[in-house]
Amino acid sequence: MIPYTELEEFFSSLVTTAQARGITCAITSGMACVHFGVAATTKDCDVLCDAEKSDDFLKLIASTGLRGLFPNYRGNISPPLDARWMRGGWTSHFTWKTPPEDTCLDIFGVAPRGSSPWQQELRGIYARPNVVAEMKRTNREKDWPYATALGGHMLNEGDAQGWLHLYDVEVLRRCAKQSPPPDHLLDLRPLLRLFPFADTLRVKRLLLAERAFWSELDELRVKIYQHHLRPYTSAVRRSSVSRHNLPITEAHALRLECAADHLPLQPLRDYGLNSMIMKAKANVGVTVGPDVLDWLPRAENHFYGL
Amino acid sequence: MITDSPSAPIVTLTAKQRRNLTKIMRDYHVRAFGEELARINFLPEPLRKQAVAEMIDHARHKGVDLTRPALGVTP
Repeated sequence: MIPYTELEEFFSSLVTTAQARGITCAITSGMACVHFGVAATTKDCDVLCDAEKSDDFLKLIASTGLRGLFPNYRGNISPPLDARWMRGGWTSHFTWKTPPEDTCLDIFGVAPRGSSPWQQELRGIYARPNVVAEMKRTNREKDWPYATALGGHMLNEGDAQGWLHLYDVEVLRRCAKQSPPPDHLLDLRPLLRLFPFADTLRVKRLLLAERAFWSELDELRVKIYQHHLRPYTSAVRRSSVSRHNLPITEAHALRLECAADHLPLQPLRDYGLNSMIMKAKANVGVTVGPDVLDWLPRAENHFYGL
Repeated sequence: MITDSPSAPIVTLTAKQRRNLTKIMRDYHVRAFGEELARINFLPEPLRKQAVAEMIDHARHKGVDLTRPALGVTP
C-alpha cells in the first residue's frame, strides 16, 4: 500500500510540474479541504485543469510514473481528456494500477457551481477556498459541513465571501455578532438579509430550502451527464473488447471516436440552464414550500465556464 | 502564473474578532465532525496533514476502501 503522504507528494508534484509548464491547474475537493483545515478521508485526487490545456496535461500525465507504473484511463466510463468535452463539464478519470489498490485522478475543466473563473483564484497548487466550497454544494449530505467549515475558514482570513458558505444557524448567528455580512452579498444570498439571524426557526427553514435547492440542481446536473454516458460507456466497451491493455494514446483515440458519436459537447446548455434552475425551484416549492422560493440564492451565475 | 487574486475584498479583522471566529468555528467542527477530527483540523498544517495521513492509512490497513467510483461527472 502506498502511504497517503507519498500519494499527496505525488499529486502535488504533478500539479507543480504542470504549472511550471504553463498548464493552469489546481488541486480541489478532498486534498484541498485538508490543506484548508477540514480533514477529508480521500486518497484520490481531483484536479481542475484549464480545458484549453487538456492536450498538454494528457501528455504530462501519460509520462508521469508512480513507482514505475504509468497511468491509463479508468474503466470504460471516462470521457476523453480533450478540450471540447472539458469545456462542457465532463470529468476524465485516470488510474495508476498500484497494488493492492489503484491510485486515481479525476480531471475536470469546469468547477461545478463555480461563480467565477477558478483559473484566477489559485492558492499555489490549490483552488481557492471559495471555489472548493462552491463545489461542495452537492446532493450528498456529507459535503455540507465542509462548505460551512470552508466558509468559516474564509471569514477568519478576512474574506467576506465566506458568508455565502455558512449553512448552520448557530454559526450564522454567532458570526453576525462579530460583523454584519457586506451589502453586496445580500443579492447573491437573500437569506443574509435576515441578519442578525435571531429568528432561529425561520433561518433554519430557509437553510433547509437552500440546501434542498442546490441538492436538486446537482441531482439534475448529474442525471443529465449520466443519461449521455450510458451509450458512450457501451460504445467504449464494445470497441475495447478485442483490444485489451491499449496504451494510453490509443485508449485516448478510441474514446475520442466514441465521444464524438455519443457525448454532447454542452449537455447542460443543451438542456437549458434556466430550465434546470426552474425545475430545481419547482421541486423545492413542493418539498419545502412555495413561500421559500423568493429566498433562494441566485444560481444563474453558478455555471461559470460552461 | 500562480495567482492569488481574491475576488472579494479582504476585511481586516481585529485580534479579538479573529479569536472569536476561531472559537465559533472550533465549536462547529466539534459538532459537525466530532472531537477528534476537530482537534486535527485546528493543528498547524504539517501536523494536520500528518494526522490525516495516519488516519487514512490506518483505515486502508483495516480494509476500508477509500477509492471513489468513476462516474464520468464530478459530484
